[in-house]
Amino acid sequence: MTLLEVEDAHTYYGESHILEGVSLEVEEGEVVALVGRNGVGKTTTLRTVLQLTPPRRGTVRLRGEDVTGRETHEIADRGVGWIPEERRIFAQLSVEENVRVAVPDGRAVGAALDRAFETFPDLRDHRSRDAGTLSGGQQQMLALARGLVGDNDLLLVDEPSEGLAPLIVERVAEALADAAEDTTLLLVEQNLPLALDLADRFYVIDNGSVVDEGDAAETSADDERLRRYLSA
Amino acid sequence: MTGVAVGAVGLDSALADPVVLAGFVDALAEFLRPRNLASVFVDGLAKAALYVMIAGGLTLIFGLMGVLNFAHGSMTMIGAYLGGLLMVLAVGQATGDAARLALFFVALAVTFAALAGLGGAIEIGLVRRLYDRPPVYQILLTFGVTLVLDELVRIVVLFYGMQPTSDWQAALATKPGVLDSSVDLGLVSVPGLDLFEIAIGALTVAGLWAFLTKTRYGLMIRAGSEDAEMTEALGIDVRRVFTVVFALGAGVAGVAGTLLMWDGSWAASVPLAADTLLPAFVVVIIGGLGTFRGTVVAALIVGMADAVTTWWFVNEIEFSGLPEITIFLILVVMLILRPQGLFGVEEVGGH
Repeated sequence: MTLLEVEDAHTYYGESHILEGVSLEVEEGEVVALVGRNGVGKTTTLRTVLQLTPPRRGTVRLRGEDVTGRETHEIADRGVGWIPEERRIFAQLSVEENVRVAVPDGRAVGAALDRAFETFPDLRDHRSRDAGTLSGGQQQMLALARGLVGDNDLLLVDEPSEGLAPLIVERVAEALADAAEDTTLLLVEQNLPLALDLADRFYVIDNGSVVDEGDAAETSADDERLRRYLSA
Repeated sequence: MTGVAVGAVGLDSALADPVVLAGFVDALAEFLRPRNLASVFVDGLAKAALYVMIAGGLTLIFGLMGVLNFAHGSMTMIGAYLGGLLMVLAVGQATGDAARLALFFVALAVTFAALAGLGGAIEIGLVRRLYDRPPVYQILLTFGVTLVLDELVRIVVLFYGMQPTSDWQAALATKPGVLDSSVDLGLVSVPGLDLFEIAIGALTVAGLWAFLTKTRYGLMIRAGSEDAEMTEALGIDVRRVFTVVFALGAGVAGVAGTLLMWDGSWAASVPLAADTLLPAFVVVIIGGLGTFRGTVVAALIVGMADAVTTWWFVNEIEFSGLPEITIFLILVVMLILRPQGLFGVEEVGGH
């Protein structure tokens, strides 16, 4: 069954029209990348799915259910997790508290912590530190861990490699590849080779709408079709 | 004249005058006697306890929601009247000290519940509609709520033949005798009420601290204070958390009011609303908007400064009414040196 469908979404920030009719689908178990230049609406597409900026026109469906206009926490309760741009970890909470707060009510917190710390052993060593004192790479690990323990079926991942050293990017990519084994991913990523490596399919977004789509395995990073939309 | 006179004469010429200088040195020596320092310290702790109770709820609400609740002082004032009413109804001439203290804790619980209910209703019914608007809307709204609440209380108080602007003596009279007597601590003997206020303040701080750091709800509140949008995206109904925090803040204000009803320098009256709101704002701003730890530290600083200047102006300097200015001086210095407050982070509460 189609996990996520976005149909002709028009989203605004105040009066500026950001998404001008985005339509896309994500099937259960897929990894789908959104690629495109800065400011074309990739992040807004994720925010539209989460209803953080609900679309003025158009529909968002999760497993066929229309969730347009619902509260964001209700979207999260339906198994949608968000690993946002710039991580947005809670800087004044400890590392452990950052993970704890992401565990849904009624789920075993201990098991969730074990899972997070097994995936990212670095975090275990810093569990009682304020998360704001972590390095950028560690903060990204924490943001990923928060997404992993949320019992999510669909993770919306926004620019996970942004601002990280190449070695750390590799570890983030590994963690995402691991996560993709039992979770569906919708991924926004500027690093095109990384995006194509992780993804099964991709959508190209330009000026607020989907202008192309394709199969990641059949497309190389210097494909003419992609370069048209990605070179500045 | 025995004290130091700093009046129309400028401070420079006053200090240059050998007689005045000698008077100051004498006064300083008197102030530094261990007995006086100790009693000022206890007085400062008692004042800090009241300040932290008055400001604690305000800082919780601001930290999570970015709402400066101008109705907070009115909650304290209603708490004072409600707690006083319960005590006046329950306490008779023959009621012993132990029974009066026990009834007081019942009154605390009832006022907490009643004010929390009122706060929750105000949040759901009024404040909630304005979160998306600029802060001035919330300030105007809560300011309006204050006018309505104060006027309602004034009408009720007048209806029962009491003066709204003077202290409610019947409520003050329910205070057990033990709190009026002095307690000997070895070095000094201090008013029993001071120790009682310190104990209640410490319990309130400990209770709020435990709630914020040891419970899942507290974790949600702290996460929501930092980034409400991210917290919501983790599946937490931040609006419900808002309601709970608004109710909790109002409940704490009510508890503070019930305690003030027994303190002769505050006591239950309608102007108590404004009298508590100002120091509450000062403490919250000095501590850093929205940080609970900052509010506790700021309450200690302001309480101590208040106690020190009170001692000076009562004992050595003949110029009454100045202690109140002290806390505003601290505020001004703080705003110049560190506008975000002691523990403040820029942009807290903004969303």
